[in-house]
Amino acid sequence: MKGLLAHPWLTIRVQIALGAIFIIAALPKIADPPSFAHMIYNYRLVPSPLINISALVMPWVELLAGLALILGVWKAAARTLVAIMLAVFIVAISINLSRDNAIDCGCFNVADRGKTHEQRIFDMKVDVFRDLGMLLLAGQLWYAGKREEDEAP
Amino acid sequence: MNRKTILQTLALIAAGAILALVANAFAPRERKLAMAGSYPNAMKVPARETTTMALIPPTRVAPVPVVPTTTTAPVTATTETQPTATAAITTVGLNPAAKTPAAPEKTTAVPVPQPPPPTHPSADSFLPHPDKPYVEITFADVNALHAKNVLFLDARRTSVYEQGHIAGARPYSVWESDIEDKVRKLFDERSDPSAQALPIVIYCSGGDCEDSHMLAQKLWGIQFNNIYVYKDGFPDWQQHGAPVHTGANP
Repeated sequence: MKGLLAHPWLTIRVQIALGAIFIIAALPKIADPPSFAHMIYNYRLVPSPLINISALVMPWVELLAGLALILGVWKAAARTLVAIMLAVFIVAISINLSRDNAIDCGCFNVADRGKTHEQRIFDMKVDVFRDLGMLLLAGQLWYAGKREEDEAP
Repeated sequence: MNRKTILQTLALIAAGAILALVANAFAPRERKLAMAGSYPNAMKVPARETTTMALIPPTRVAPVPVVPTTTTAPVTATTETQPTATAAITTVGLNPAAKTPAAPEKTTAVPVPQPPPPTHPSADSFLPHPDKPYVEITFADVNALHAKNVLFLDARRTSVYEQGHIAGARPYSVWESDIEDKVRKLFDERSDPSAQALPIVIYCSGGDCEDSHMLAQKLWGIQFNNIYVYKDGFPDWQQHGAPVHTGANP
């Protein structure tokens, strides 16, 4: 079972899938930073001076991490960044769920889609589960990388 | 995590930051972000139910009552948390406003049956209120102010503004990098205290849209003391069949 989890066949597919998801997620944010800044503001977790700089830098880091995963370069750094970002997203959405602050997550779309409070809350729960699933994928990459390091001469 | 991985992780973040700065430097005006924004309620979770009056507790002390004919400037009636005119208009302002290519323009009126107009408030209803950043108003008041050719500011994104806005409104998106320049320009236009006491109506998309409130706070911070937020915003204006203008110009 452990061998299957760290099998290169699986690892390469997980890398490509996670990389593609992060690239797809980054593009609309890069295309419209003010809208993404608005999304970050809606989380009510980031201090005012950091909102714009986060909106500018985070999508590019997502893009580079995604590209690195797909191209198979700096894999350890890329999966670390991906895991950190996913953990941050999960915590941020969960905090807002706990305080009933309904927001659009801004994960793949930065446009305000005019949802109701209930629709947003439901989507946020889905987002948390989706991000947890992706964090599991990042965990597989980490496990495979660790096995690879251990087996290296 | 070994040293090499840490360095590579930092290198990816640094590369992302450099790319972000370069992309932002070459971005068109409506997609450019100021490095540091000014969002007073960034850490404050909004209440679900909106109220009919100003949501933001006033921070000014000993407000100086100002009427349109008065020339007394309420500049000194501020606390440390209240930005001064100079501070507020120089916080960001990185990008001089570039001329937006004029889009095809037309004036349209949505053919929605309009109910009998309610009694319009008198001019006395729109006196300055220096003790609070804004007062929320509804369509009847907004329509009355529109008929008086009061200044209207559209706090939505410029791209949305160009698709349709209240006739005569100017684009003032709080999320775009030139907002401080626009605010500074407005301050220059209305530097006289009597001009700052003239009513200004700000709107966005209604509902839970806060952009108009943010802009109102920004203007209140530089001594504009007669600001009204159109609570239900542009969708409500359209529903009433009031005049709508499309394109880049007011």
